[in-house]
Amino acid sequence: MLRYILKRLLHGLITVWFIATATFIAMHAVPGDPLSGEKAMTPEIRRNLEAKYGLDKPVVEQYRIFLVNMAQGDFGISYTQQNREVNDILREGFPVSATLGILAIVFAALGGVLLGALTATYRNRLPDVVIMFLVILGISVPSFVFAALGQLALVKINAWTGFTLFPVAGWGTVMHMVVPSLVLGLGTMAYLTRLMRSSMLEVTNTDYVRTARSKGLPPARIFLKHQLRNAILPVVTVLGPAIAAITTGGFVVELVFAIPGLGRYFVQAVQQLDYTVIMGTTVFYGAFLVLMVIIVDIVYGLIDPRVRLKA
Amino acid sequence: MSERDVVLEVEDLKVEFDTYGGIVHAVRGVSFQVRQGETLAIVGESGCGKSVTMQSIMGLIPMPPGRITSGTAMYRGQDLIRNKYLGGRDIRGSAIGMVFQDPMTSLNPTMTIGDQIAETLQVHRGFSKSQALARAVELIAMVRIPDAAKRASQYPFEFSGGMLQRSMIAMSLACEPSILIADEPTTALDVTIQAQILDLLMDLQKEKGMAIVLITHDLGVVARMADDVMVMYAGEIVESGTIDDVFYRGAHPYTMGLRAAMPSRELGARQRLTPIDGSPPDLFSPPSGCGYFARCPQAMRMCQAQHPYLMSVGTAHHSRCWLQHPDSTRQVPGLSIPHLGSVPVQS
Repeated sequence: MLRYILKRLLHGLITVWFIATATFIAMHAVPGDPLSGEKAMTPEIRRNLEAKYGLDKPVVEQYRIFLVNMAQGDFGISYTQQNREVNDILREGFPVSATLGILAIVFAALGGVLLGALTATYRNRLPDVVIMFLVILGISVPSFVFAALGQLALVKINAWTGFTLFPVAGWGTVMHMVVPSLVLGLGTMAYLTRLMRSSMLEVTNTDYVRTARSKGLPPARIFLKHQLRNAILPVVTVLGPAIAAITTGGFVVELVFAIPGLGRYFVQAVQQLDYTVIMGTTVFYGAFLVLMVIIVDIVYGLIDPRVRLKA
Repeated sequence: MSERDVVLEVEDLKVEFDTYGGIVHAVRGVSFQVRQGETLAIVGESGCGKSVTMQSIMGLIPMPPGRITSGTAMYRGQDLIRNKYLGGRDIRGSAIGMVFQDPMTSLNPTMTIGDQIAETLQVHRGFSKSQALARAVELIAMVRIPDAAKRASQYPFEFSGGMLQRSMIAMSLACEPSILIADEPTTALDVTIQAQILDLLMDLQKEKGMAIVLITHDLGVVARMADDVMVMYAGEIVESGTIDDVFYRGAHPYTMGLRAAMPSRELGARQRLTPIDGSPPDLFSPPSGCGYFARCPQAMRMCQAQHPYLMSVGTAHHSRCWLQHPDSTRQVPGLSIPHLGSVPVQS
């Protein structure tokens, strides 16, 4: 198991390096640079600034400096915001984004597994038909639509009842987090429900579930120990990509609900070609995703002995 | 046939399945008895209803689409079709154990072998987890898997097919059932392992005195194991009796067809086998006459019109064939001839 984890961590490190390199190349391939937004600038001032930020150095040299600094955990200073270190931005925005993302994932995974198991149990009956219709809706409607609708619904509800249980926007309390994370997790939850349903149906017809029944086990035990654990495996596999989908979708939801996460800084930075902020947030996000995927892999190993013992 | 106690008595069992093509009459009025300490073999080709018969008694057929339309299965004065609980305990796994065909897929891949065996003891006997695990190790040793303690903590993918089937047997015998249903227990295994598994089953039967219901289409396995044989065709019993009755005094053309299709040493390796031409009747609309009519070399006119009943042809030997009717003038060829020399060999 330890070897398995170390192997996964090494792979993760290489992936992060790839992300960093790709971002660097992409940044420098885009026309313009962080200084091109400035007003009337004499060539002399421009040269001075370039020298100050190291932009006059050969690209390879810039890449080397970038990698060395990054390895030391230093993502540099923002080009456009005064006296702001990228690390400060991360420290401020990341916990908010991560909380939102993790809540959304937990909601999506729990909801998906429960609803999937439920629809499989009531196959082709009313609960199944209703939930599967909603699932199609959840998969096809993008999260920004749900975000806007959710916010509108909150406004109406709060106005009608006269008090605010779930605030319409902002961040700070648990109540602020509920609706945005539900909205963010909805699409993934719908997808996981479908997956869990088909997986559960498959497991129900397996020989080992028949064996469990022939042993005279109580239905609850068959469901939990023989069906659920085996049915959940494919769901765990897609959790990695699902985390990626949720965190990227998070940028939009953060904007709609005015949540002070990383999304806002990221979008701003791209518009202004703020090299350090873009690269810092991208690489940091990338590393976070890779870590989550590794955790998913480890969890998978815990659930399925074949993965744990053969790796 | 011996006078031992009847442990399971099945009467007029009928099972149907709803499908898109219509209703399949899979089992059409099957009655038989299982005696303590004896082995009853149910033989027949694929789709003849032998597995469905036992699975419906065990409540393992999916309902819907399956349906038991009539019949009783009496175990200790209780009808198992209606109630599977005896004294508040599920008879499945406690009084009747079951072993399935494919050991590779019949065990839960995410549970250790020990846990899967122990589970039965926890549920039926109220053992604690550690008690049950200790007993599971003994059971694994009983089915002759070496290094039982270590094996108990391993998962199915770490076992070979033969060892998995041994584990299945250990699991089904954990609560010392009085009946073991073995549904083609050796079909998925290679020949040497087959022999080991059959020996194991026979030894355990001697030791524990349980009855075995052996479902198979391998007549070699039947010859080795069975006391009584029941031949099924198109959802019905066509012949039943002791092993000697059915093998040497076969009284139904289908039984003889099966025997002729079996390789034998006398015929030699170069001799062609004799298949039974045609295929079983459509069970969406079973024929009104004899189910074997279309394939039977001895078919008579009345076989098409009249459905034969099980006729007695000896002590506890029955055949569902008009040839055995007292008024029949024809002789059954091959009767009393062990190796069926009189059946023409097709070339």
